[in-house]
Amino acid sequence: MEKTFILNGQEVKVQDFKHAHDTVSFSYQGQNYFYSLISRDGHEMILDEKNGRFKAAVSTLSKEGEAMVIAGGREGILSEASKKLKKGAAHAGGLKSPMPGKIFKILKPHDSDVKKGETILILEAMKMEHAIRADKDGKVKKIFFNVGELVQGGVVLAEVES
Amino acid sequence: MKIKKILVANRGEIALRVLKTAKEMGIKVATVYAEDDKNLPHALFADESYSLGMGALSETYLNKTKLVDVAKRCGADAIHPGYGFLSENEDFARMVEAAGITFIGPTPESIVLMGDKIGSKKALEKISIPLTPGYHGDDQTEETLMKEAKKIGYPVLIKASAGGGGKGMRIVHQDSELLESIRGAKSEGLKSFSSDKVLIEKYVLNPRHIEVQLMSDTHGNHLHFFERECSIQRRYQKVIEETPAPNMSQDLRLKICQTAVDIAKGINYRGAGTVEFIMAQDGHYYFMEMNTRLQVEHPVTEMVTGYDLVKCQIMVAQGDKLPIKQEEIKQKGQAIECRIYAEDPDNNFMPTIGKIDAIGVPTLRDVRLDCGFLDGTEVGVNYDPMLAKLIVWGEDRKLAITKTIQSLDEVLFLGVKTNRDYLKRILGHQDFIAGQTHTHFIPDHKAELEPVELKAHDLAGLIASYCFSQKKAAFKSGVEVSSNPWTTLTSFRN
Repeated sequence: MEKTFILNGQEVKVQDFKHAHDTVSFSYQGQNYFYSLISRDGHEMILDEKNGRFKAAVSTLSKEGEAMVIAGGREGILSEASKKLKKGAAHAGGLKSPMPGKIFKILKPHDSDVKKGETILILEAMKMEHAIRADKDGKVKKIFFNVGELVQGGVVLAEVES
Repeated sequence: MKIKKILVANRGEIALRVLKTAKEMGIKVATVYAEDDKNLPHALFADESYSLGMGALSETYLNKTKLVDVAKRCGADAIHPGYGFLSENEDFARMVEAAGITFIGPTPESIVLMGDKIGSKKALEKISIPLTPGYHGDDQTEETLMKEAKKIGYPVLIKASAGGGGKGMRIVHQDSELLESIRGAKSEGLKSFSSDKVLIEKYVLNPRHIEVQLMSDTHGNHLHFFERECSIQRRYQKVIEETPAPNMSQDLRLKICQTAVDIAKGINYRGAGTVEFIMAQDGHYYFMEMNTRLQVEHPVTEMVTGYDLVKCQIMVAQGDKLPIKQEEIKQKGQAIECRIYAEDPDNNFMPTIGKIDAIGVPTLRDVRLDCGFLDGTEVGVNYDPMLAKLIVWGEDRKLAITKTIQSLDEVLFLGVKTNRDYLKRILGHQDFIAGQTHTHFIPDHKAELEPVELKAHDLAGLIASYCFSQKKAAFKSGVEVSSNPWTTLTSFRN
């Protein structure tokens, strides 16, 4: 079975993916990989592979459905293509957060009519308020977050449909 | 007078840093916290801790009245301001002293003097401190400007005095370019800023940021603790600092340190201070500014000299005479500090947020992690993105670099994207290893500091780890370990 992951924003497809009990195997770029899980405690685990054992650590999933994975001195942000929540990132052309912040206020909820330049919501970051404004005349098609939610920088907060 | 209780008017790693020394000295410590910081260690590990409530910084860590009230209420006889926030605020220093509380810092007069960028230079000119040569005069005739430019010595920078963003700027290397450049800068200034007034300054090619740590007591002792090299910066924020500065002769080192001591003497300074210099590649240096507080990067100095600078600060504030002679202060080995920021260097240094599942513990000898967070705490959006400082000591610079790279693999900050990998790329860069540091290092080496692509094998390991983590411990032959995971997570495979 083919399985698609998203690693650091890029799609990665692996073939012959099998995950049974304490083993994971797949092939990638013509190479076969076989791992077994030796132990696991909290975020840390020890894996066994033909080149030897190594330690890895995986964070809890963020609300965007992503996990930070550290193994072999390398680090990556991973999610499964099928599971990744559609919050933010995937939407092109939406209104993005200029930096991480907290949704402070929503002035134009879903379905509101807006004029270009009108403030749709306010993001609070570094103790300052940042207005997220409509990029065109139209209707607010979707707001991806609720008041009080923390959001990363560069994610889509809202979409306007003309 | 012996200080019995200190209120730390700060947060995060620096509040913990002060707490540590105070504990060693048997002094009680009270801390303060904004409500959104209530789970952070500076709010948890002091002898007592007081809420500053919620809201804007002006309501919490910058609220002078609240802070002085807390100090009075808890019976603190001294306030340590840390760095940032109110550490260089003369009104706060005055308010603290007026309340009969000792301010662990310089006099308000010193803060005022050094806070005034023009006034401080005028004062230092009088005691012959080298300043960046320049002409800022009103006589704008071509003859005068040319005469002044030649007096300063090439290369010089001519810029529109109302300018910005590189408009109306000219770098002049020789006589033949001078007149044309003056005219060019003037006409561009006139077009862009409706003023043809220009100023001329010495142009320093590939400057280094070199600073000197000072400590003065109230008995006329003005000591230096040698220099720090802080050229590796991104957007005027320091990223890596070290001491001793590489590629610097001992003569030059002693000369620049003596200049800094002359400043401390000249203004009758008190407490910890740092003089920042801009240094040309040929070793000429010019005064830039003086920071009248403890610096973020003070630990590298502590690692190579063996002195506790916070302890010195407290002793000075008590009125003690520092029991240290200048000739006893020596640099031993090399220390490097890396600032671990919650940011994505590969996406324009965008700040990041999230929950830190696990920080990790450095295990090598002579490695120190000054960190304001605990496992399970959140990195939010309201404060500086610096999470921690990794400080590493080695017998020599090469060993210190190697140890720093190794140690960065141990401090995971699992759950929050940090600049950890980026720091490794800088430390492994051949020019950094050769000590060829200057303040444009990061922009100049942008291409070489791009992330190294993951090998297929590494990528497969990440995917497998991810997959195991997504299944609830349902394996048969695995052994559940119940010890603290991070005591065992010391040898990540490389």
